[in-house]
Amino acid sequence: MRQNFPWYPIFLREMLLFRRKLLRLGYLFSAMVVPIIYLIAFGLGLGRSVQIRGIDYMTFLIPGLVAMSSMNNSYTWVASALNLNRLYFKTFQVFVQAPISPSSIMIGEVLAGMVKGLFASALIIIVGFLTPSGFSITPLFFMTLLLNCFLFANLGVITGMLAKSHEDTATYSNFFIMPMAFFSGTFFPVDKIPNFIKPVIYLMPLTHTNIVIRKSVLDIEGLISFAVLIIYSIAFFVYGSKLIKKYSE
Amino acid sequence: MIRVIGLTKNYGSIRAVDSISFEIKKGEVFGLLGPNGAGKTTTIKMLTTLSKPDSGKCIIDGFDVVKNPYEIKKRIGVVPQENNLDRELTARENLLIYGMLHGVRDMEKKMAEPLKIVDLWDRRDSVVLSFSGGMQRRLLLARALLTEPFVLFLDEPSIGLDPQIRRQMWDIVRKTRIDGRTVVLTTHYIEEAEALCDSVGILSRGRLIALDSPENLKAIVGEYVVEFINGDGKLIQNVCKTRDDAHEIAKQRGDGVTIRRSNLEDVFIKLTGERIETGEPVE
Repeated sequence: MRQNFPWYPIFLREMLLFRRKLLRLGYLFSAMVVPIIYLIAFGLGLGRSVQIRGIDYMTFLIPGLVAMSSMNNSYTWVASALNLNRLYFKTFQVFVQAPISPSSIMIGEVLAGMVKGLFASALIIIVGFLTPSGFSITPLFFMTLLLNCFLFANLGVITGMLAKSHEDTATYSNFFIMPMAFFSGTFFPVDKIPNFIKPVIYLMPLTHTNIVIRKSVLDIEGLISFAVLIIYSIAFFVYGSKLIKKYSE
Repeated sequence: MIRVIGLTKNYGSIRAVDSISFEIKKGEVFGLLGPNGAGKTTTIKMLTTLSKPDSGKCIIDGFDVVKNPYEIKKRIGVVPQENNLDRELTARENLLIYGMLHGVRDMEKKMAEPLKIVDLWDRRDSVVLSFSGGMQRRLLLARALLTEPFVLFLDEPSIGLDPQIRRQMWDIVRKTRIDGRTVVLTTHYIEEAEALCDSVGILSRGRLIALDSPENLKAIVGEYVVEFINGDGKLIQNVCKTRDDAHEIAKQRGDGVTIRRSNLEDVFIKLTGERIETGEPVE
């Protein structure tokens, strides 16, 4: 077991904790509240009268909400859990003192974050199928969703390692995650944004997720965006592993 | 078994550990005694790969802690000062995750012995949140024993425990000394160091100021203490080398004088002019 999957105990631990959380129903509802509010406010409220690129707004919005929600959940869970485990509960120290590599710690935490991101996404996908829209799931959609969860779980590890207090993680989130949720094509296409801001927009990984996740087939634009997501993922993984390796009290 | 040479650690401009050196033999129970802030925990963190030293070396079982952390991690068990159990998981789950992290096979079987040693076998399926402070510290000890480590590190094993429960903890620590296991502990309780340790290093402000068996340390300062309250209501303590010296002082003083055996606190006061448990200066 250990030789093949040294990350497994770290993943298992998060899953045991997650299961306990799920059993408390309050969590499930709170995970669903935000996306459903967006869906009602933007989709049913604003979106009734709007068409984007010839498709109705709900069909445009739902993949964006899935991308946003998978980002939020993968990222936030990992960042805050890792930060709390490191600074308050000190359980992170148990991993550091175990004979496993920094990248194994990284993989265990990231996979757990992905499961939580996918779980939140599944809730929205279910709601998406229940609302009248042309929303459907393609293999490309699913691949992009997985990659997005992976990318932001890795970013979560970086924040969790760097943040000097739990309040700090909220600051990171306000500066990086919040703007991405709104300006990277979740609620409206990025080509509506003034040209001078566009370079920043295209630096945001979620912009590229939103580009690929709405495509039915992978064209050149989609391929470039997919490549950008992979490059970000690798960079975040390498940097996160390095932070764990350098960890010293 | 353990060799520490010139170990130093700075936090900003504060030198937490100042070039300490010592050796611990296989099978020995070694104690680092000193007040809070003396550098005990920092030393343990460096020995257990959690903190990288600024300079100096530590070698455990032939491996350098900085160069071969992986080999060190396979050989040690740590009970940290701060409880780092997963409080929302059961005792069994806590041990399971820890054992898997350390590559222990046959977990269900292996778990029984340490849980029985610390007397928590019957509570193995309870969530840690429902445990008292003493039970949680015992579970930490069971977790550290799970991997059958060569060296067991205990950072303040009985901190925050009632005196009576502290004694139970000592009995358990004594039970863990099997198969020539080396135990390194830190404490600011004088009694704990005297009850458990074969040799004691006294730390003060990051420096190792004395190192010997408790008996020898006490013999150096004097084995008897004459205590009395002086005219200003202050407690005066005179440490004497021999019983006769002590009686001589007691005779001169007259009533209200007690003679007792010296302890490690007297050693610490003699060396630093301060008390261990409170860090207060003594006149």
